[in-house]
Amino acid sequence: MATIAKAGPNTRLWNAEADEHDTISTRTFGFWLYMLSDALIFTSIFASYAVLSTPMNLAGGPGPAQVTNAVEGFWQTLIILGSVFAYSQATVALKNGSKAGVAAGILVAMALGVAFVSMGWHDLAALTAQGNGYSRSAYLSIFFTLIATHGLHMGIGILWMLIMLVQIARFGFTADVVARLLNLRMFWQFQATIWVLVYVYVYLLGGAA
Amino acid sequence: MQVDLQGPWSPLFGRLTLDAIPYDNPIIVGTFLGAATIGLIVVAAVLYYKKLPYLWREWLTTVDHKKIGVMYIILGLVMLFRGFVDGLMMRTQQVIAVGPDSPGVLGAQHGFLPPFHFDQVYSAHGTIMLIFAATPILAGLGNIIVPLQIGARDMAYPYLNAVSLWLTTAGAALIMLSLFVGQFSNAAWVGLMPLAELPYNPGVGVDYWMWAIQLSSLGTTFNAINIIATIVKMRAPGMTWFRLPVFTWVNLSTSIIGLTAFPVLGVALSLLTADRYLGTDFFTVGHGGNFMLYIDLFWIWGHPEVYFLILPPFGVFSEIVPTFSEKPLFGYLTMVAASFAIAGIGWSVWAHHFFTMGMGPDLNGYFSSATMLVGIPTGVKIFNWLFTMYRGRITFTTPMLWAVAGIFLLLFGGFTGMMLSAPAINYTVHDSVFVIAHFHCMVLVVATGAFAAVAYWWPKVFGFKLDEHNGKLFFWTFVLGSVVVFVPMFGLGLEGETRRLDYIFNPQWRPLLIAEEVGIVLYCISIFYFLKMIYVSLRDRVPAGDDAWGTGRTLEWMTHTPVPFYNFAVTPQINALDELAWRRENGLDKVKPETFVPIHMPSNTAVPVIIGVLAMAFGFGMIWRIWWMAGAALLAIIVAVIARSFDKNQGYILTAEEIAKLESKTELASVIAEQPKRAPLDHVEAH
Amino acid sequence: MRFLRHFALCAPLLLLAGCSTVNFALFHPVGRVAEAEYHYTLLLVGVMMIIILPTFLLMVIFPLRYRKSRNATYAPNWSHSTIIEILAWGVPVAITAVLIHYSFVGVYAVNPYSPDALDGSPGSALPPIKVDVVTTDWQWFFIYPDQHIATIDDLVVPAGRRVVLRLTSTSVMNGFYIPRVAPMIDAMPGMRTEDSFEVDQPGTFEGFSTDFSGAGFSWMQFSTRVVSQADFDAWAKTVQANPNTLPYATFTQLAHPTVNFGAKPAYFSAPDPELFDKVVRDAMNGVAYPVPDSLTESVSSNEGKALVPAPASP
Repeated sequence: MATIAKAGPNTRLWNAEADEHDTISTRTFGFWLYMLSDALIFTSIFASYAVLSTPMNLAGGPGPAQVTNAVEGFWQTLIILGSVFAYSQATVALKNGSKAGVAAGILVAMALGVAFVSMGWHDLAALTAQGNGYSRSAYLSIFFTLIATHGLHMGIGILWMLIMLVQIARFGFTADVVARLLNLRMFWQFQATIWVLVYVYVYLLGGAA
Repeated sequence: MQVDLQGPWSPLFGRLTLDAIPYDNPIIVGTFLGAATIGLIVVAAVLYYKKLPYLWREWLTTVDHKKIGVMYIILGLVMLFRGFVDGLMMRTQQVIAVGPDSPGVLGAQHGFLPPFHFDQVYSAHGTIMLIFAATPILAGLGNIIVPLQIGARDMAYPYLNAVSLWLTTAGAALIMLSLFVGQFSNAAWVGLMPLAELPYNPGVGVDYWMWAIQLSSLGTTFNAINIIATIVKMRAPGMTWFRLPVFTWVNLSTSIIGLTAFPVLGVALSLLTADRYLGTDFFTVGHGGNFMLYIDLFWIWGHPEVYFLILPPFGVFSEIVPTFSEKPLFGYLTMVAASFAIAGIGWSVWAHHFFTMGMGPDLNGYFSSATMLVGIPTGVKIFNWLFTMYRGRITFTTPMLWAVAGIFLLLFGGFTGMMLSAPAINYTVHDSVFVIAHFHCMVLVVATGAFAAVAYWWPKVFGFKLDEHNGKLFFWTFVLGSVVVFVPMFGLGLEGETRRLDYIFNPQWRPLLIAEEVGIVLYCISIFYFLKMIYVSLRDRVPAGDDAWGTGRTLEWMTHTPVPFYNFAVTPQINALDELAWRRENGLDKVKPETFVPIHMPSNTAVPVIIGVLAMAFGFGMIWRIWWMAGAALLAIIVAVIARSFDKNQGYILTAEEIAKLESKTELASVIAEQPKRAPLDHVEAH
Repeated sequence: MRFLRHFALCAPLLLLAGCSTVNFALFHPVGRVAEAEYHYTLLLVGVMMIIILPTFLLMVIFPLRYRKSRNATYAPNWSHSTIIEILAWGVPVAITAVLIHYSFVGVYAVNPYSPDALDGSPGSALPPIKVDVVTTDWQWFFIYPDQHIATIDDLVVPAGRRVVLRLTSTSVMNGFYIPRVAPMIDAMPGMRTEDSFEVDQPGTFEGFSTDFSGAGFSWMQFSTRVVSQADFDAWAKTVQANPNTLPYATFTQLAHPTVNFGAKPAYFSAPDPELFDKVVRDAMNGVAYPVPDSLTESVSSNEGKALVPAPASP
């Protein structure tokens, strides 16, 4: 840059129309960034899982093959994918402006989500009852943590869905409500993705070891 | 389900008993009296001048990025002072307790701090300086300046911005509270493993440390989201990517680090929390635990964290050096590239913090190589600043002095860092005071960057400059103190002095330790000049112009001084890199907008400060195992967040007439001024 | 102001008083591995100086030369130069490549597990002296499995022989370090690490822990005595005759938290031959030696103080 460009007769110094910004895309972009940080949380937990899966970490207790059941996990996978599908139907209804359609999709997604979390809870409770709770060994600690962290995210999503049902009824499809529904879609799909990774890495690969 | 804890526990008070108050420790009692006195004076003044409603409406419930930034910086400076006092105590202990014949007072065998207290002091020193002094000051600077530099009215998420501030404050409050109720961690700022596990640390100290960091790192992650979204989505028209000022670019790369690295710390601390609260076995020695996992996770965060801290000061230097050399920044594109290179490579080097842990030569060699690579973009930055000064017209104002000192420190600190990155050298000085001197050199770069930025941008926010004469005295005494404390420390490290010693077993080290104490005295003098500078500046309040230094190049110098709460009356159209310099070249820098349009501004909200208070209560409850308090606070936070989502308040409209009036009398719109109540909107036209 | 500036610039010279490198342990290596460390330090620092020194000079020259009052050449729009960019990236890349090469070679030379620096040394032709190192809160146990003796806080080795150490801890992480002699390695509970060194001349050195381990950390030193082969054999014989033995039960008593003020040594004959492995196994099974709160609060407390038998003559 040898010289600074010259101003011309059409040079504009101020732009009053610029204040209008797209609130929905700003909000969803921010939520996407938050999802990135959430991805890092799961990455760290997965890395810890890998580190704590050696024979030394089992401390004489059960390992992946003993605590996971690939068939049960498969049903869970179908349920969570079904939940995501139900929510995506809700999004289609949103595009068409149908409150009833959105509510129906959300209700089905919630029900399937609750079923998923119950199955996971049942698994962990059964292990604990056997004496293989999270304080038995480092491996069990990280296994419980991985499942429970995912389950906690699912629980937050279910609560969020409940709140959205109330907000749709009260406010209709305002910009804020639509932004939240879109964020929730991102959140829910992300949870399903994490579960698929858990299923593949912990249930299938771990169970085969 | 819960682990068995040493000591009594009651449902109402948890582990908290009267024994937790150290009323027999004269140092702490004295500190409490001093702090309480200052606190009472401040509260009395606020009530006497009837400023409580003003404080509540204008500061505690604000979502204005500039006020939030100012509060961040105030928090950081207060904690910097506390951290300095910790450092002063450490230096003094280490100069007294040298050799088996050294005297001991106040219950200590040698010196005046028994090991347990000394250990808490240095753990607090590290935690405070990095997490509660440096990070808030830099976050505050980014908060204030980034929206101004891109021509935005506020951050992308003003409410989240306030939440970040109050979460950080809650963490800081917990640390301050640990002085008077209970104890702090003795396991260093990193959480030495397995020392921080229950068998070796059954008390509340480690818990205080853990929860304080968790709360503030949540705030930092949210702040990172905010900055990235603001830069990506809220730029003024014409502000293309390669017209962004370097300070903004640097905040973008810093925030990407913040967004991606802090969750790893969160996981590491959460796993430790599970160990300490639920009896899991992540980092225990038995039951298959592997505490090296904690060390790895911690440093996977820890190394990006130090780049998180040092990149903004680099950005500050990149603003100040061009302004005071009256030349554009040399190598703008490579500066940007170097910032991202540093952020990226910084992810791959973490194991150089524990070369001696026995990873083997291949891994040690890899991490050594990766660490050395970071020196390349850092060197490029130094060369770019040098060639900005080359054939410039340099004025040595206080900000410029700080910047030049910072670059010298970077050179020396970076050189010693390169030394440490070689295992052959590292195996002799790991965990010695050589390492301490190295990283203090680096955080002094952060400090010089922070002081440079405060001096540089102070007039923009407050409308008057800081006193130059006392500013320079502060500068020289601070730099001199730094040299006299840390140059001998490098020597002591090479002599073999290891770190974290409460009692120095080798009397041969005494002369250099005395030299370091002289340095600390110089630091104390520098604090005097800092306070004098603030006092004289406030007393004289010489008004500064819009372009306070006369040679500003970037957009923030185009607003009024002091900057009004709405930033720009009309959003500017950007035509070039260094927009103000471009306008000045073309004789357009004095042109003001002719017509005004209504502006949509966000309303204040009490929810963030309430969340902050609740977060502190949650932390306190968790620390002391007061389950009802922790549970209630957590529930209240969730309810507050949900309730706020039902809030129909959409902000308010600032009419064109009001703007015209404020533009003609700018002191009515400044950060300090009190604003009249404006009615919020129920809904906003879809746009 | 001017006085202050002049004083400020001159004052650091006072620090040169402390700059005599006589005490710099790094600069006065005695062991072969330490010599290699010193060699690589000089080499790497020397290469770094190629960039650091000129940059430092420019940092001094440019601000002084181009300050406003000097009215030097002013190029207000010059902010790009391809040749400078190429040099600014290229020279550091080249220097870094050299540094990386030497750092990598250096890592293998000083590797605690099997340092290349000990290849072809006098001791490599002879069987190594094996020592098991167990750290407790806050003492160092040295067990010699081949000589069937053990000591607390006194590492005696013969000159001209390679010493191979296995390290572990009963409690928290410690850092084994003998400046001028041995590279640093961590000793960790439930895990084994190794270290190697060789010293060719007799001498006395001080070792200590570099990893903070709690209240007694500041007193956790041990002496390292390198003696002639004959002296070492005689010393081992004396300690073998020591009436204090070290079965594992005694060891676990001694491993309770205790601060050894002044690092007074103690000697034992007939240590449990599997002591090291038992310590590792116990740690993996969760055996811990928690520090009582009173000892944490006050290092002078007598609570939990383990019994230390009277030292035999060295």
